[in-house]
Amino acid sequence: MNIKKITTRFKKKIKKIITRDKISTILFLIIPIVFVIIFIYICIIWNIVVSLSDWEGLRPSYNFKDFGQYIKLFTNKIFLTSLWNNIVLILIFVPGSLAMGLFLAILLDQKVRRENVFKLIYLFPFTLSFVVTGFLWRWMYNIRVGVLNTLLESIGLGFLSNKWVQDVDFAMFWVCVVLIWQYSGYMMLIFLAGIRSIPESHIMAAAVDGASSFQTYYRVIIPQLKAPIFTGFVILVVFALKAFDLIFILTGGGPGYATEILPITMYKEVFNKKHFAYGSAIATVLFLLIMIIVIPYLYSTYGGKKNERN
Amino acid sequence: MKEIKIGSKKMRLPHPTRVLLYFLLIFFAFLALLPLWSAVMTALKTQEALIYSNPIQPPIKPSLDAFGTAFNKLRIPILNSLTFTIPATILSCVLGSMTGYALTKVKFRGANTIFLLVIVGIFIPYQAVLIPLVQIIIELGIYGEISALILTHTAYGVPICTLLFKSFYDSIHDSLINAAKIDGAGIWRTYIHVILPLSVTPFVVAAVFQFTQIWNDLLFGLVLSGAGSNQPASVALLNLQGGFVTAWNVQMAGTLWYTIPSLVVYLVLGKYLVKGFMAGAIKG
Amino acid sequence: MTNVVIKDLMKKYGKTIALKDVSLEIKDGEFFILLGPSGCGKTTTLLCIAGLLTPNKGEIRMGETVLSSSESDAFIRPQNRDAAMVFQDYAIYPHMTVYKNIAFPLKIRNMEKSKIESKVRDVSQRLGISKLLDRKPKQLSGGQRQRVALARAMVRDPKIFLMDEPLSNLDAKLRVYARAELKKLHEVMGTTIVYVTHDQIEAMSMGDRIAILNDGVLEQVGTPIEIYENPKNLFVVGFIGNPPINIIEGTLIEKNGEFIVEFGFSSYQLSSGIEIMKKTKTPEIMLGIRPENITITKESRENAIQAEVEVVEPLGRENIFHLRINDKPLIAVSITNKDLNVGEKVWISFDTDRIHIFDKITQKKIN
Repeated sequence: MNIKKITTRFKKKIKKIITRDKISTILFLIIPIVFVIIFIYICIIWNIVVSLSDWEGLRPSYNFKDFGQYIKLFTNKIFLTSLWNNIVLILIFVPGSLAMGLFLAILLDQKVRRENVFKLIYLFPFTLSFVVTGFLWRWMYNIRVGVLNTLLESIGLGFLSNKWVQDVDFAMFWVCVVLIWQYSGYMMLIFLAGIRSIPESHIMAAAVDGASSFQTYYRVIIPQLKAPIFTGFVILVVFALKAFDLIFILTGGGPGYATEILPITMYKEVFNKKHFAYGSAIATVLFLLIMIIVIPYLYSTYGGKKNERN
Repeated sequence: MKEIKIGSKKMRLPHPTRVLLYFLLIFFAFLALLPLWSAVMTALKTQEALIYSNPIQPPIKPSLDAFGTAFNKLRIPILNSLTFTIPATILSCVLGSMTGYALTKVKFRGANTIFLLVIVGIFIPYQAVLIPLVQIIIELGIYGEISALILTHTAYGVPICTLLFKSFYDSIHDSLINAAKIDGAGIWRTYIHVILPLSVTPFVVAAVFQFTQIWNDLLFGLVLSGAGSNQPASVALLNLQGGFVTAWNVQMAGTLWYTIPSLVVYLVLGKYLVKGFMAGAIKG
Repeated sequence: MTNVVIKDLMKKYGKTIALKDVSLEIKDGEFFILLGPSGCGKTTTLLCIAGLLTPNKGEIRMGETVLSSSESDAFIRPQNRDAAMVFQDYAIYPHMTVYKNIAFPLKIRNMEKSKIESKVRDVSQRLGISKLLDRKPKQLSGGQRQRVALARAMVRDPKIFLMDEPLSNLDAKLRVYARAELKKLHEVMGTTIVYVTHDQIEAMSMGDRIAILNDGVLEQVGTPIEIYENPKNLFVVGFIGNPPINIIEGTLIEKNGEFIVEFGFSSYQLSSGIEIMKKTKTPEIMLGIRPENITITKESRENAIQAEVEVVEPLGRENIFHLRINDKPLIAVSITNKDLNVGEKVWISFDTDRIHIFDKITQKKIN
C-alpha cells in the first residue's frame, strides 16, 4: 500500500538476514569452504564425469559416452587382480596391525622402565615418509645383498632366505609386513591411550574377584577397547585402499601384477598409458569403496543428535 | 622378586616374566630400528666396502662420500620441498584455525553439517581428484611450479587442520566466548583477543603434523611438478639412480638426507606429533 | 530507569520447551532473584536478557529500549545491551593478567588508556584485589577469581548486572561472606541485579524479590517473606524451607460451619479463622505445615494428633524430631522441647495461622 512502509519492512528484513555476525562468519569460512568445494567436491564430480566421457589421450574431451568404462573395469583382468590384491592387503594388514599394536600396547602397559623411550622407538616408523620406508625395505628385501637375506645367512638360517617381494606368490604378504612395521606404533599409541583410560577401579575390582593378569586383560580391558579398535580399523582400511606411495616404490606393483593395487593401477592407466576415462573410472570405484566405510564411521562419531547446536 | 645369595651378597633376581617382557620389548625395538640402522651403515660405506661387508656391519673405514654425492643431487629438490612445505603448513594451519573456530564457537544452524562435509576431505583417496586437479593446475598456468604444490597442499590440508583445531576449541568453555560477547567483542575480535592467544598448542600440533605430511608426500609431487627443476625431494629420491646398477650407499644416503628434517621435527617436537595423530588423523 | 520487563517469553531447544510464557517485571535498582531447581529455565531467562540466546516468542525491554521482540523482529546484540554478566565458572581470560581482564571491556570500547587505568584501579580497590593486578588467573584462588569476574563486570558501569550462580563454586565458608559482600555492594551501587541461583538460602537472604521457576513455568514472584508465608502452590511451598515442609493428604469436610480435615487415621479441626478461598472439585486436599509450626506436647490435648518419636537430631541450637503418625512420617523442629526420647508417644498440633491447604488436583493454595 504505502511505498515507504514496504521499503522500511524490506530494509528490516535484509538487516535481519545480513547481520554483522553473519558477515563475519562468512568471511571466516569463505576461503577454506571454497577450497573444499572446489578441490574436493567439484573434483570428485568432475572425475566421475571424466569416467563417463570419451577422453583418450592427452587432449581433454568431455563428450558424454556411456558407462562403458565401468563395464570394462569389471571384465578387465588387471583391474580384478588389482581389486583382489587390495582385498588381500586389507585382510592381512588390518588385523596384523591391530594385533601388533594391541600386543605392544599391552607390553608397554606393564609399568616398564623407560617406557617413553620404547614408545618413541615403536612410533618412529610411522613418522617416516613412505618413500623412505620404500627404499629402506627395498634394501632389506634385496635378494642378493639385502639386509634380511645376508643376516639369515650369517646366523646359519640361510635356507630361510627367499625372494621376498620378488616372489610372485608371497610378495603381497611381505608388502603387508612392511606396512605392519610402519603402522604398529600408531596403533599401539591409540590402544595404550584406550587401556589407560579404563578406570583403575575396574582393574582393582577384577583383582579382588581373583582374576589373573591374563584374565584381566582378556575379559576386562580388551572388551572395553571397542572404540579404539573401531577407530583403528577404519583408519587402517581407508589407508589400505589408498596406499600408493609405498607400493609404488617398493615393488611398482610387481612382480607382474602381484602387488598391484587400485591406486597403482589408476596411476599407470592415466599417467603412463593416458587412458584418462578408464583411469578415472578406477578412481571412482576406489572412492566409492572408501565412502562405504567412511560415511557410517563419520556419522556415528560426529553426526547425530548429540552434536546438534541451536 | 626372588632373593638369592651369591657369596655374602644378597641379590634380587627379577621375575622370569619380567625378563621375558624386556626381552620382547628390546626385540621389537630392534626390529623397529633395524632398517634405519642398516641404512646408516650402508650410507657410510664406499662402493667396495659394500661388496665386502654385510649390510648391518659398521664400516671399517666410514666415508662420507655417499652422503656428498647424494647431497649434490638432492640439494635443490630439498630446497624445493622446503619452499612449498613451509608456506603450505602455515597457510593450512591458519585456515584450519579460522574454520575450526567458526564451526565450533560461532553457533549457527548447519555448522555441524558443514563440519562433517569438510571432514570427509580427510578420507578421500587423492586418486579420485587427481585428474581434475591436474586440469585445474594447468588452467591456472602453474603446472610445474612450486606454487602448484603450495596451493594443493594447503587446500587438502584444510580438512585435517579443521579437525585438529575443532577438537581443541571444543574444550574451551562457551562461557568464555559469552563473556567476550558481553564485554563487547564481536566474532573477529573474540578470535583475535581471546581464541588466538589460547591456540598456541593446537598451532604447534597442526604445524608439526602438516609439515610431516606435506614433506612426506609423493603423489602430488609426482603428478604436479613436471620434469623440471622444481621437483620435490621425494620425487628426486626416486630418480636418484640413473644407471643400471644401484649404488645402494648413495641411495641410502639420499634417503637419509630426505628423512633428516622430519626426524629432527620428531625428536624435538614429537609429543605434538603424537597429539596430532591422536586426533583421529590418518597418514597418506 | 533501568527496569526490565519480560513479556510472554517462550524458548525451546529442539523439542524441549525451556520457557513457557514467562512474564515478569524487574524494578529499577532491585536485587532480583531467579530461583528454581536445575533445568527450570532460570539460566535460560538470564541468557535471553543478556542476548546470548534468542527467545522464540516474547518481548524483553530494558527501560525504554526493546532488547528483543519476536513480533517486531527487533534484536540488540549482547555486545550492545549495556548489561554486564558474571558467569558461574567466572570465565576470566586465562591468558590475560588480572589487569588486562578487567580492562578488556573498556579496551574493546576504545576507551583511552589513562581513563581505563583509573577505572580499573578504582574497581580493584573497591573489591580488594589491587595487589593481584599483575597475576594470571591460574595463580588465583577461587574467591579471588570470582572477584576478578565481578570487577570486570563492574568496571563498565553497566545499567544492569546479570549473575549466573556466581557463588556456587566457592566453598561453603567463603560463600557466606561473599553473600554479605555482594549485598553490601548492591546497596552502595544501587544498580539493578538479576541473580540466578538454585540455593533457596541464597535467594531468601539476598533478594529483594524472588521469582520461582519450575520446568519453564513461573510459579510465583514476591518478596522472600511473601513467598515463605504465602506460597501460591505446592511447588513453591515445598521448594522453600529447610527442613522441607510436611505435606499430608486429607479430605476437607465442612460441618456446622467449621472445617475439619480428615486424615484417615485421625481428624483435625481447623480453627474458625481459616477461610477457604476457592471451592475445589473434590474434597481431597493436601495440608502443609512447616516443621517449626508444629507444637509437641507430652500430654494429650484437644484437637491434637498422637505421634511417635522415631529419630532425634540434636543440633545444638535446635532439635529436629522425626515423628510418625500411623505410617506417615513428619518432621518437626523445636527450640524448646529438648527432652523427648525415641519411642516416646507425644501429641502434636499445628499453629493455626501457619497451616497451608492446597487443592490436590490444581496444587494451588486455597486458604
